[in-house]
Amino acid sequence: MSENDKTKEDFEPKVVGFLCNWCSYAGADLAGTSRIQYPPNIRVIRVMCSGSVDSVYVNRALIEGADAVLIGGCHPGDCHYLNGNYKARRKMVLMKNILTTLGMEPERVWLRWISASEGQKFADTVKEIVEETKKLGPNPMKERWNI
Amino acid sequence: MIYELKMEEDAGTTVNNLLRSMLKDGKIDALVAMQETPTGKSAFPTMVSDPDKLHTNVFAPLLPVSIGTVVSHMTKVQGTKKPLAVVLRACELRALLELAKIKQADLDNLILIGVDCLGTFPMKTYSDFDGDPTEVLLKGEGEEYLRTACLNCKDPVPENADIVIGVYGADEGLFLDARTEKGEGILSDMNLDETEDVEVREQAVSDVRGKKDETRKEFMEEHADILGVDKLLEFFDTCVNCHNCMKACPICYCKECLFESSVFDLEANKYMAKAKSKGAFKTPTDSLLFHVTRFNHMILSCVECGLCEQACPSDIPLMDIITSIAENAQREFEYEPGKDPEEEMPMVVYREDEFQDVGEG
Ligand code: SF4
Ligand code: SF4
Ligand code: FES
Repeated sequence: MSENDKTKEDFEPKVVGFLCNWCSYAGADLAGTSRIQYPPNIRVIRVMCSGSVDSVYVNRALIEGADAVLIGGCHPGDCHYLNGNYKARRKMVLMKNILTTLGMEPERVWLRWISASEGQKFADTVKEIVEETKKLGPNPMKERWNI
Repeated sequence: MIYELKMEEDAGTTVNNLLRSMLKDGKIDALVAMQETPTGKSAFPTMVSDPDKLHTNVFAPLLPVSIGTVVSHMTKVQGTKKPLAVVLRACELRALLELAKIKQADLDNLILIGVDCLGTFPMKTYSDFDGDPTEVLLKGEGEEYLRTACLNCKDPVPENADIVIGVYGADEGLFLDARTEKGEGILSDMNLDETEDVEVREQAVSDVRGKKDETRKEFMEEHADILGVDKLLEFFDTCVNCHNCMKACPICYCKECLFESSVFDLEANKYMAKAKSKGAFKTPTDSLLFHVTRFNHMILSCVECGLCEQACPSDIPLMDIITSIAENAQREFEYEPGKDPEEEMPMVVYREDEFQDVGEG
């Protein structure tokens, strides 16, 4: 039985996380060094700023079958590049709007502000995403060979 | 001020004569407008400076390319120093103004002449047409031949032009609406009479906008069911990933599109790994990704010209979904492409206190 045939409850979501170098990535690091427990479902990709995450990365992850995608950035006002996170937020609104029109499960895409000192918030965010994604079930796009 | 342009022969000739006198009087150095090709089977935006070579028909119901794109190519390297008139329909004007916002067109010394659009035909319908397609439309007939985009046009009456040539509401002649000082400067000494039918014109414009709004709404409702990954895959089932839709799009201006690059060409072992994990995958890869990404990159500026649909070799009715995608996205950001040349595009600005539920939760 392949991973994809598992039923909703016992499936382990794969989450792709794009975390900004200056805040959220450091937050994730802190969760690790502080030995805070969180589900192992997230695969982290370090980016320089949440504002640098183009929709193509998010949509590719989704279309290739990621069950959820997280973009993590500095809190509003704290972006290392001043306003990257505000722009990330606009891009996220647009991404979700388009996914909604297309019926492509916008709730699989997440944006969160996690600072370098918020190891706990990072862990809680991953927990929350995994729980919510389990309710949604596996991303149907994973199964489609003709996508 | 709205002037009255007396009809000579037919509407196309009337405007052609007006443009000729603008050229002859030196008000403009050259112009770009739709001109029928000698075969009569098509018409193309044509730049003319010799009054003897001027055979425009600005009402030719055909959109082989957006004049927005044409003017971008002509002015982006360097704008014109001498007055150049450009005659465009509403969606072309919207496209040009969007392109100017992102520095892909220089509007300096352009005289923008908008013309009421009665809709356009698919290329083949136009060239095979039995009779004069322009005449049919001007008579108020021929709706059954219109392209989907035109049937559901957001607004066929141009807004931000120096002069608007009005058909809607015109009885005997045409309207000439000077909408800017520049436009007024050109028309004021051309021996034109002020029209007495300003209200008629206003009513007609508001009627046609109302009617289009309704048709468009019905159309979107009719196609609201293309939802979910399987419906989408069905919709794009015959997409050959040629990117023609993007190349024809006036808004897709990038010279080096990500999807035309080799970013998606991976090492063989990555494809093998993907085949192992999925069991099988179709090629060319990344076509749905191409469409979804393209929408993210340009939909806020989409002027709904339908050139993408017209360019598709597989006849995919792209406007069936693009109309709703554009409508929903533009509404979210309260943005109307081509409406206000001074307004910044949504993706380059932000407010600190907006969309606060996204990012927290
Ligand atoms: S996406 Fe299609 S309808 Fe929209 S501007 Fe581009 S070509 Fe025109
Ligand atoms: S023009 Fe048609 S076939 Fe070509 S990429 Fe666009 S939708 Fe696909
Ligand atoms: S650097 Fe962290 S969001 Fe910009």
